Amino acid sequence: MRALIKIIKEQYHSFYLIMRLAKFQLRIDNQNNYLGFAWEILNPAIQMAMYWFVFGFGVRGKENITNGHSEIPYIYWMLAGISMWFFINKAILNGSKAIYQKYTMVAKMNFPLSVLPSYIIMGKYYGHLALVGLIMVVFWIKGYYPSIYYIQLIYFLLMSYILAFAITLVTSTLTVVVRDIQMLIQSLLQAMFFLSPILWDRSTSMPHWIQSILQLNPFYYLANGYRASLLYNDWYIVEHWQLTLYNWGLILFLLLIGSTAHFKFRNRFSDFI
Amino acid sequence: MAESVIIKNVTKTYRMYKTKGEQLKDLVLPGKSGSDFNAIEDISFAVEKGDVVGLVGINGSGKSTLSNIIGGIVPPTSGEVIVDGEVNVIAINAGLNSQLTGIENIEFKCLLMGYSKERIAKVMPEIIEFSELGDFIYQPVKKYSSGMKSKLGFAISVTADPDILIIDEALSVGDQTFADKSLAKMNEYKKRGKTIFFVSHNLSQVRSFCTKIAWIEGGHLREFGPTNIVMKNYSEFIKKYHKLSPEDQKAFRDKLANRRKQNNK
Repeated sequence: MRALIKIIKEQYHSFYLIMRLAKFQLRIDNQNNYLGFAWEILNPAIQMAMYWFVFGFGVRGKENITNGHSEIPYIYWMLAGISMWFFINKAILNGSKAIYQKYTMVAKMNFPLSVLPSYIIMGKYYGHLALVGLIMVVFWIKGYYPSIYYIQLIYFLLMSYILAFAITLVTSTLTVVVRDIQMLIQSLLQAMFFLSPILWDRSTSMPHWIQSILQLNPFYYLANGYRASLLYNDWYIVEHWQLTLYNWGLILFLLLIGSTAHFKFRNRFSDFI
Repeated sequence: MAESVIIKNVTKTYRMYKTKGEQLKDLVLPGKSGSDFNAIEDISFAVEKGDVVGLVGINGSGKSTLSNIIGGIVPPTSGEVIVDGEVNVIAINAGLNSQLTGIENIEFKCLLMGYSKERIAKVMPEIIEFSELGDFIYQPVKKYSSGMKSKLGFAISVTADPDILIIDEALSVGDQTFADKSLAKMNEYKKRGKTIFFVSHNLSQVRSFCTKIAWIEGGHLREFGPTNIVMKNYSEFIKKYHKLSPEDQKAFRDKLANRRKQNNK
């Protein structure tokens, strides 16, 4: 518990540092492209168009997706969920590598090491916010206007960041000790992509116990949360309060393990790198 | 005078593995496979404020390990280092990014060193001035020559202004005028009573700059004392070492290396 408080304090005091470093990271990543930052949005946009073509036209046809109360065309349903996924996927992949890739850069300084994964995540977060903004505009054009439920969207946007941080706090430390973990994460994320209701949701036609297991996946909660706020207009947090509690419990648990592991290995990172 | 750095029985041991498998086994069952290598062994000495200590020794003797331990970058395996004040290690290339411009790199590196927004704004003009880069400061670092890179790196590092400074081979770069300017900056630090550790193979620089010398050989402290005494012995040793045939030099190094190895089996 003490480790967790220390991490949170470190993050809080380094807020300016995280923002600036994230900005520099974006510049480093996009320096060579003429379009620069625009690629952070163009890239996922092209992928979205592809998924929509393959799954929207090819596989699903013009079906609507229901949440029980109202129906939403597949393409919008998919867009809302997948925007979250592009962020989470990149943030976890790159965030896990953060310590072993960037450690030498800060090795000779008194640097708060837990900032390494969080500034990588923050860099991806900027792109995410821009992408969500773009999708919102598409929704407005199509008649899904801003509502009081946008407040809930802020909650889910924040939660995506916190979840990504909690996961990478664990994985960035583990990856330093055993490099193979990075490969494992890559495979797991691919599996999660198809186990989460991002491209499809057939869970209602599955046996009840499988449905329950699928809901234990934190990305399930996030994807549906984004949709509830942007499209379905219902209070997902309250209607599925058990999931809300479960997911915060999971985040707390990850943060606890992550911060303990981080401080246990922090002084020995240099031995592993 | 007050002691600013006290090094007490410091040992640093690295685990060495022949294969990835051994490393994995050691992770699961600690102490069963692999062997130990003592990078430095049982080193103790104390340094006073205002001392400039030269760390000398042939390659692989453990100088950098020792300076990293004093700088707090690497924790010692046993023993302790008591440091009075803020330590900064001057390393030329750490933290420079080739995609960013000179200006951006200054801010980037200052952020990594933990500077506040206000402090960065204050030191920025000083660093630009010291680096002598002119308009190149707005160009990405990938367009710099290696001399320009080290000028920028050094300019950023010296503005950190810590109480204890560790300079690891940092003055061996750049042209002569810049090296002189850097040495002048170091001398200014010396006058202000800062403790400096100076790692270098350039014996004339060490001789003119240091007040004390710690001679490290094969991970052990062979001699520690005032520059004139230790330097005399060390130069004699180096002369003798250079005269040895390559085979004898290798035999000498192997003998030292074997002393530092500890096989578990």
